[in-house]
Amino acid sequence: MSLLHNRWLADQLPGWEREGIVTLDGARRLRERYPVESARGLAQMIVGAVGALLVGTGLVAVLASNWDDFPRWVRLLLAFGPLAASQAVTWLVLRRGEAAKGWQREAAAVVQTLAAGAAMALVSQIYNLPGRWTELLFWWCLVSLPLAWTLASQAVAIAYLVGIAVWTVAEAGERGPWGAADAADVRIWFPILLAGVLPLWPGPSLRDRPAIGSRLALAASALVGLFAVAAHASNDGAPGEAGFWLAMLSSVAVLLFPLSRQGIAEPLARKPQVQLGGIAMIAMAMVASYEAPARGLVNSVGNALPLPWCWLLVAVVACFGVIAFRQQRYAVLAVAGLALVPPLAAGFTAGDAGGWPVAIAYSLMLLATAIVLIALEFLGRQGAARIGAALITLLVILRMADADVSLLAKGLAFIVIGSGFLGFNLFISRRRAAALGGSSR
Amino acid sequence: MRPALIVFAVAAAAQWLLPLWGVWRHERVIARGTVVRIECGAPDPYDPLRGRYLAVRPLESGFAPPEGMPEGERVPVWATLAVGADGLARIESLSLEPVAGPTVVQLAARSPRSDRNREAVIIEWPFDRFYLNERLAPDADRLLAERLAEDTRPVAEVCLLEGRAVLTDVLIDGVSIREIVGQPRK
Repeated sequence: MSLLHNRWLADQLPGWEREGIVTLDGARRLRERYPVESARGLAQMIVGAVGALLVGTGLVAVLASNWDDFPRWVRLLLAFGPLAASQAVTWLVLRRGEAAKGWQREAAAVVQTLAAGAAMALVSQIYNLPGRWTELLFWWCLVSLPLAWTLASQAVAIAYLVGIAVWTVAEAGERGPWGAADAADVRIWFPILLAGVLPLWPGPSLRDRPAIGSRLALAASALVGLFAVAAHASNDGAPGEAGFWLAMLSSVAVLLFPLSRQGIAEPLARKPQVQLGGIAMIAMAMVASYEAPARGLVNSVGNALPLPWCWLLVAVVACFGVIAFRQQRYAVLAVAGLALVPPLAAGFTAGDAGGWPVAIAYSLMLLATAIVLIALEFLGRQGAARIGAALITLLVILRMADADVSLLAKGLAFIVIGSGFLGFNLFISRRRAAALGGSSR
Repeated sequence: MRPALIVFAVAAAAQWLLPLWGVWRHERVIARGTVVRIECGAPDPYDPLRGRYLAVRPLESGFAPPEGMPEGERVPVWATLAVGADGLARIESLSLEPVAGPTVVQLAARSPRSDRNREAVIIEWPFDRFYLNERLAPDADRLLAERLAEDTRPVAEVCLLEGRAVLTDVLIDGVSIREIVGQPRK
C-alpha cells in the first residue's frame, strides 16, 4: 500500500472504531502497520510560516526604513531585540513539547530564523563589513538549521535547502580566473550542508519522512547543488570541459536515490526526485541527440575521468543502481541508462569520429527508453506509459523539425503524431479506470 | 533537559555570538583606533541581503611586492600607512610578517596573473562598502558621479587598531557624504 492508501485508511479508522467495525486494539495495530506522515501537514506549515514571514519581514522593513536616523547603539538594540524576543518565544514553544501545535512551531522557527538573519545583516551594515553576500547567507543557513531540527520546522528546512543551493551556485560561479580568490570549495561543502537535514529526515528514529513540499525542495536543492558542484569541478582541475557528463551523473544520482518499499509504491507525483532527475536526464539526452553537443559530451567524459568528484559520483550512481535493480525499479533504471552512452562511446569510437554516432545513439536510446516505459506498464510493473508516449512524440518532433522535408509533410506528420498521442492518452486513461474499477488496485 | 532544548540553546547562543563577535571587534577598533583618510572611488551597487551601499575602492590598488612574496598565491600582508601633507594616508611599506604600529593595516595581496606587471602586487583592502539609507543612496551616487567628473575624489575615513580596519565614513571635500545628502552624521 502507498502512503496515499495509508492516509485514506487513517482517515477511515476513527469512523470504523465508532461503528464497531474494528476494535480499538485492531485500529491501533492497523495504524502501526500502515503509518502516515506527520499530522502537521502542509496547511499547518503554510499557516505558521506565512504568518511568521509577514511579521518578521514587516519588522525588519520597519526598522530598516528608519535605520540611519538612529545612533549606533539604538540600531544594535533593534538588531538584537527581535532576536532575543523570538528566542524567548521559541523556548516557550519548546518547553511545551508535544503539546505545542504545528503552526506554533513553524511560526516560532521562521520568526527566529528571520531575526537571526536580520541581526547578522544589520551588524554587517552598521560596521560596513566587507565580504560577499554569500558569506552572510552561509552563516545564516548554519545558525538557522538547528531550528529545523528542534522544532521539526518544514518551512525552515525548505528555506535552508533553498539557501544552500543558492549559496552553492553562487560560490561555484566565483571559481575560475576572474572569481573571488576565497570562494569555497563546494565539492566539500555542498555534501556536508545537504547532510545537515539528516537529523530531521530520516531523524533519530530513521522513519521521519519529509512532506511533499519539503521533498520537492530537497530534490531541487540536491539537483541544483550537484549541478553547481559539477560546474565547479569542471573549472577546477579538469583538462577541458567536463561539466556535461558530470551533470548527467548528478541527475542520475538524484533519479536513483533509494526509496523504501512504501516510497516505491507511491505515484510519480509524490516522487519529485524521480521527476526532476528524470526530466534533467532526458533533457540532456535530447540535447545530446544533436551532433555538436554529442561531440562535447563524449569529450567531457575524457575530461571528467581524472577528477575525484567524477569517481565519487560514479560510485554513488553504481550503488544506487544496484539498489534500484534489486528493488526492480526498471523504469528509473531505463532512464538512468542514458548516462551510459557517453562513456561507451568514448571507449568504442575513434577520437576523430565526430558526434554523429553518439547523436544517433541518443535518438535510438531515447526511443528504447520510451518503449521500456510503456512496456513496463503493460507488463503490470511500475512504468510510465504516458511519459513514454510523450517522449516518443517529442523525439519525432525534434527529428522532423530538423529534417529536410517540405513544410506540408512536416505539418501532416505533426497532425498524425499529435492525434496518435492524444489517442494513446485516452486509451491509457480508460485502461487505468478499468483496472481501478475491476480490482482493489 | 531534553536534547532539543540543548540543541536550541546552542543554536540560540550561536545566533548571538556570531554578530556580537563582529560588534566587539569593530567597536574596539572604532573606540581605540587611529583615524586615517584614504583616497578612493565609490560607485553605488546593491547587496541582496543588506541593501544599498557605496562600493569603496581605495585608489591605491598595487604596491611593490614585499620581500619573499610567493607567486600566484593570495597571502595576508601588513601595510604601514604614512599620512602625507594633504592629510591622506598612503602605503609606505608592505610586509609578509605582522608589524606593529598605529597605522598598520592587514591587507591581502596577490601577484598579478599577467607576466607584464611583475613589479607590483595587487592589494585588497579590508573594507569595500559603506552602507547608506535606501532613500539617500541614489542622491549620494549622483553626487559622487558629479564630483568625480570635476576630478574631486571621495575619501574613506577609516579607524585602524592592531592591523584591523573599520570604515566609519566617506567624505567629499572633508564633509561626510551623509551630511551632504541630508542625513545626520553618526
